Amino acid sequence: MKFLAKIFTWWDGATIGTLLHSWRHGEHVGTDAQGNRYYRSRRKSADGRERRWVIYEGANDASRVPSEWHGWLHGAFDDVPESHLPPARIWEADFTPNATGTQGAYLPQGALQRGGRRAAATGDYEAWSPDS
Amino acid sequence: MPKVTVDGQEIEVPDGATVLQACELAGKEIPRFCYHERLSIAGNCRMCLVEVKPGPPKPQASCALPATEGQEIRTDSQMVKTAREGVMEFLLINHPLDCPICDQGGECDLQDQAVAYGRGGSRYHENKRAVTEKYMGPLIKTIMTRCIHCTRCVRFSEEVAGVDEIGALYRGEDMQITTYLEQAAQHELSANVIDLCPVGALTSRPYAFEARPWELKKTLSIDVSDAVGANIRLDSRGREVMRALPRINDDVNEEWLSDKGRYMVDGLTRRRLDKVWIRKRGKLQQATWEEAFKAIARAKPGKSIAAIAGDLVDCETMFAARKLLGAMGSGLLEGRQTGMDYPADNLAAMAFNSTFAGIETADAILIVGSQVRHEAALVNVRLRKAARRGAKVFVVGPQWETTYPAEFLGEDVSVLGNLPAEVAEVFDKAERPAVIVGAGGLAAGAFEPALALAQGWSREGWNGFNVLHTAAARMGGLMLGYAQKGGMAEVAKAEPKVVLALGADEVDWSAFDKSLKVYIGHHGDKGAHAADIILPGATYAEKDGTYVNTEGRVQFAEKAVFAPGDAREDWTILRALADALGVEVGFDSFAELQSAMIAEVPALGVEGLADLGPLPKAAKGGKGKGGTISYPVADFYLTNPIARASAVMQRCSAELARGEEILEAAE
Repeated sequence: MKFLAKIFTWWDGATIGTLLHSWRHGEHVGTDAQGNRYYRSRRKSADGRERRWVIYEGANDASRVPSEWHGWLHGAFDDVPESHLPPARIWEADFTPNATGTQGAYLPQGALQRGGRRAAATGDYEAWSPDS
Repeated sequence: MPKVTVDGQEIEVPDGATVLQACELAGKEIPRFCYHERLSIAGNCRMCLVEVKPGPPKPQASCALPATEGQEIRTDSQMVKTAREGVMEFLLINHPLDCPICDQGGECDLQDQAVAYGRGGSRYHENKRAVTEKYMGPLIKTIMTRCIHCTRCVRFSEEVAGVDEIGALYRGEDMQITTYLEQAAQHELSANVIDLCPVGALTSRPYAFEARPWELKKTLSIDVSDAVGANIRLDSRGREVMRALPRINDDVNEEWLSDKGRYMVDGLTRRRLDKVWIRKRGKLQQATWEEAFKAIARAKPGKSIAAIAGDLVDCETMFAARKLLGAMGSGLLEGRQTGMDYPADNLAAMAFNSTFAGIETADAILIVGSQVRHEAALVNVRLRKAARRGAKVFVVGPQWETTYPAEFLGEDVSVLGNLPAEVAEVFDKAERPAVIVGAGGLAAGAFEPALALAQGWSREGWNGFNVLHTAAARMGGLMLGYAQKGGMAEVAKAEPKVVLALGADEVDWSAFDKSLKVYIGHHGDKGAHAADIILPGATYAEKDGTYVNTEGRVQFAEKAVFAPGDAREDWTILRALADALGVEVGFDSFAELQSAMIAEVPALGVEGLADLGPLPKAAKGGKGKGGTISYPVADFYLTNPIARASAVMQRCSAELARGEEILEAAE
């Protein structure tokens, strides 16, 4: 089943082609806490730069790249986070991907899904009902 | 007519004019705080200083200086400029610099004049004076540190309102404005001192920290809280009316407004009908417009349909209902909800013929069954003006607290038939005798004898017969034929299958048990509780409309905000109902409705006093009828569904009318 999904779907992890490319030309440099794998190209391109990419563990959502790997992925620094950054402090919160469109999405106070309770505002009115 | 020169420009001014008025006639702006056109001259703010020759070589307060022949007035000299700067600097010594948190900000005379006439900066480094706050009731908020001692509020309550409630304690810099024993100001016009206050010392308590003047949309409207038809301005933000302020109209309200008209606007957002309701198995349940119209059509009213107009509806709504009923073949229209029954075929006999401005000049006034103070607070101001000019006032009806000397002649109408000789003599000798019949008098059958009296005292060029209604819709309703011979009893006797209640909340519905009661209105009040079908309509603030005040003055009010929820403008409901009932009413838009109305009742097309024709002859022998008068307004603050829904009016009623002790929340 997983094998079929790998062939026919593209929304989780890499496609067969990307996996093949990563195996042939990529060098695995590290894995983050969520299991996303980071690669860089073995050969530099004509202008002397190396390509860097990520293969997600799970949904292909760019916001799932944690901040420490984001810098490396975008060429801000060359060392991978494990060797470059100090160890995480205890007060640092775990990285969370963007929750928009998911169950955990942020709802402002007063949103109907949160019960619609909000502070009074201009134009509010109190409707009559026969029981009052 | 003295001739004076203002800044080199020679003008003629009326006799008795002051130098300030002369300058205004010449088109010069004179800054002022204490001077007000409608109050006596105090001359204590000193802001209106000008240079006058001949006279002492120092600036003079122009508001208190009479203009005399040959005066040379300068408003643009260096002396005047320095004098204004000096006065402004002194005023600002003890005025707090709290404009950012002051409710007057943006509409403050001191703010504006400090910019226009003050110095650029302050030279004052000492401590400022502080004054304790005073309690002036649920409507007026005081921050007395801001007071600049102009005494406009003191003069207003003494001269216009006629109650000595606000006064000053101590002297000089330590002067403090307060109410007597710090009680609430207890009269119907108390909130006008808020408009009069040139600074932020007296501000509106319900409107405190609600909005700034520049973010409000201003709409010209007409007050519907009584039959005076005061001209008001509704200030709204978004979908909410934030406040109502009086407009200047010397013929109607001068520049005052009753507290009810001003503060019932918060009732516009409470207890609103915003859905269609249908009574099913004795219980009101939510429904759709379609279901409601189908239910009304299912009653198959045919000719058996009646319309009862409430106290607040506009002429267009009443006309649309009349058209609908006319198309159905019915003429059962009635607006006098409480069952009053007086002849309405002659409109002149139903109007305030002397006009409000005219009643000021009357020299003998007989009030029959009207507690004018509560039924039309602004007319009471006019009566007080007349009394101050020397008019004698007599009242037939139970005792009430007048704001001018008045003699009470008993509670029974029969006294009109045989007035005491000395009273009759006053009226016989008077040049302009006036009779005012109120709703209480009409209900007690005082109409005929009062008309007979007024015709006995007729004078050339003076119409002294006045009817003072209590409902904003009454005069328009009478012009549109909302009166049956026999009143409400006649409508009930016809047993209509369907009754359209256009915001009618004072009707005794027990007489209409067999009818399908359709309530078209805006507030859940008595009418809605009794109704079988409720169709949500719009208030006076939510629709364009024509209103006719008790003088017969046609006035037009504009729409300020939109009606909430599913509510619609009333005429559109009646138009849709016409479709449901399968009849043709002949209008599809408001403009078409209005032109149809004006075509049928041309008087409603012209703003201003309508010509209602001559008075009828009083019937002979109408004198003998007697009845005890009782006043219709039990509680000034709660006379209509909007006011009853208003939290501010409820509090006023509890604290001012019923005298309950309300504890202030700790601030």
